[in-house]
Amino acid sequence: MAGFSREVAKRIFAEELKSSNYSFRDGEDQHQYAPSYLLTPTGAKCNRVFVVGTLTEKDDIGGDTEYWRGRVVDPTGSILIYAGQYQPEAAQILANMEAPSYVAVVGKPNLYQTDDGNIIISLRAESIQRVDENTRNQWILDTARRTLERLEALKNARPVPVSSDFATADSVPASSSSSTPAQDNDRALQHYHTDIEHFRQMVLRALSSLKADLAKSDMPPETKIAKSAIAEGEKKPAATPTAPEEMPSSRKSKPKKSEPNNTWPAPENEEEVETINFGKKS
Amino acid sequence: MKELVDQIQARLRDQKIEISDEDIESRLKKLIVDFRVPEGEARRSVLNYFFKEHGIVPQARAGSEKVKIAEIKESGKWVDLEVKVLDLWEPASQTISQTGLVGDITGSMKFVKWSKSELPNLELGRSYLLKKLVTDEFQGRFSVKLNRTSQIEPLDVDVEAKPASKSAKPVTIMEINEPGQWVDIKVKVAQLWEANSEAISQSGLVGDETGTIKFVKWVKADLPDLEDGKSYLLKNLVTDEFQGRFSVKLNRTSQIEPLDVDVVIGSIAAEFSGALVDVQKGSGLIKRCPVCKRSLAKGVCSDHGKVDGTYDLRIKAVLDDGRRVQDVLVNRETTERLINLTLEEAKQMAMEALDHEVVHSLIESKLMGRYYSITGPRMDRYLLVESINEIPPVSLTHVDELITAAEVA
Repeated sequence: MAGFSREVAKRIFAEELKSSNYSFRDGEDQHQYAPSYLLTPTGAKCNRVFVVGTLTEKDDIGGDTEYWRGRVVDPTGSILIYAGQYQPEAAQILANMEAPSYVAVVGKPNLYQTDDGNIIISLRAESIQRVDENTRNQWILDTARRTLERLEALKNARPVPVSSDFATADSVPASSSSSTPAQDNDRALQHYHTDIEHFRQMVLRALSSLKADLAKSDMPPETKIAKSAIAEGEKKPAATPTAPEEMPSSRKSKPKKSEPNNTWPAPENEEEVETINFGKKS
Repeated sequence: MKELVDQIQARLRDQKIEISDEDIESRLKKLIVDFRVPEGEARRSVLNYFFKEHGIVPQARAGSEKVKIAEIKESGKWVDLEVKVLDLWEPASQTISQTGLVGDITGSMKFVKWSKSELPNLELGRSYLLKKLVTDEFQGRFSVKLNRTSQIEPLDVDVEAKPASKSAKPVTIMEINEPGQWVDIKVKVAQLWEANSEAISQSGLVGDETGTIKFVKWVKADLPDLEDGKSYLLKNLVTDEFQGRFSVKLNRTSQIEPLDVDVVIGSIAAEFSGALVDVQKGSGLIKRCPVCKRSLAKGVCSDHGKVDGTYDLRIKAVLDDGRRVQDVLVNRETTERLINLTLEEAKQMAMEALDHEVVHSLIESKLMGRYYSITGPRMDRYLLVESINEIPPVSLTHVDELITAAEVA
């Protein structure tokens, strides 16, 4: 396409981002500068995402030049963000930020496959900014809404048999021209065998934890709800009664935050990548 | 296969020709199975074979089928239509004797009657059975052509036609949300641009009280020039779309009527709510050309060269609701209020830091990532912000509503 139009920043919960392992290049031709996209289990095709959450840790993992890594936590899990010499403003802001604090991050999703075949997703931050709790709450509501919309659309999708050469590398040819949302949904179902109910529960957990947070700060007018919610909110904010099967899990998503490398089943070879079945979690 | 055979049988029976199903099927099979001929083509070929066999010379190269306008989805098909003439336009070429719009209950479509067809003229508002027309397609839109083999039969009954979507209707700029529509607009010329193509005689922005839109006037349209700041009634324009933005094109069928009244541009506000995801270059403390008010790049105006610019404060940003993006422009007054910093203070700040960028950074730190709802008129791809407010805190009610919705989903 001759012109340029800015990519929308998709709203995706951390748990869904972490379940994503399929990226491809799209556009009229598949040259190396064609934009690359991450397709998530609910069919969001993202070149850019917008995440608001709590920055829980930050480290300079660079050598000679600074390379900052941060972990941003939302009610469903956590995601790693990076900012280095090519994102100087974001890197500077991250460097000067205190953890924990609420942050808004606009970034590009990035899949990385380790030597032993694990796939790690992270965000390359275009911008990071400190925000208030209200913005964080807005984002949860916003992201819940968008995720529910995607789940609704996914119900009408049919997995189409596609050639089996899915992979996470850049070399993957996608369709010859830009895909439609319906095609994205079909592709997502085909690749992830998405368990819609699993992600609906994820949204409900996120909303319930937001509710508990709000009840806490809304004490006077809603004392009753607040009291019960506080008890829950403080102990296990995310593990709400609406998702009893999730009770044993912590506030984070199943992949434990301290060992990101072990959160993916290790495939034996590249062909196996597409068979990673996060659905087993639920 | 059975279906195809039946279709062919029906057509043959019309001509009182009797052929066994087996004969038809074996011919079809040969074409479709052995020679990979598409079914439609195979049917046509088999029909023609048997017609020829029985000395029937098809009047058209293939039989025409009676269809509704909405069913026309392929070019090069022969069709019969029962339609009403909804509009007649000035033919653009001597080879065309009549052109305009015909419609039935399912829709409307452009028609072209060639001069060579030597057919009688169609009358506006009358209904006809038009036989053996050829369908045509240009840029995804279909039309029907009347040629020498076509026939026109006036109908006594009135064909019910859907209100013609392609006959121009008066609209406001805000209502333009679909390409390929014919519209009339009452507008004032807001900007005239340098034409960047030899096919374009004029382009720029026109606006009414609901917003502004890009216009293009083709050289071929052979229309008088529009003057900056004047108001006009522009009739019979076609809407177009490129990357989500709409424009109107003035072509040979368009008309320009100067208006005595002054059209006021853009007081009706558009709205958008979303997160502010980017504060763009050119935000913060900028210098403008004292002559044309455009912002300077390194002290140079693209029109007036090196000038002594005047300071201004503004924000160019992108709002994003997860589905669409909206470019926004915030003027000095609103910027001052939003970041709680006057132009004078901003100048002071930049002077102390010896860097204009500090103002840009301040804007980023105050606005990035936050949720706003904005209103203001649209100008090209920008929404000119008149009011901007942070979205009120999430309430328990909001969350409960969404939980309920999610539970029944």
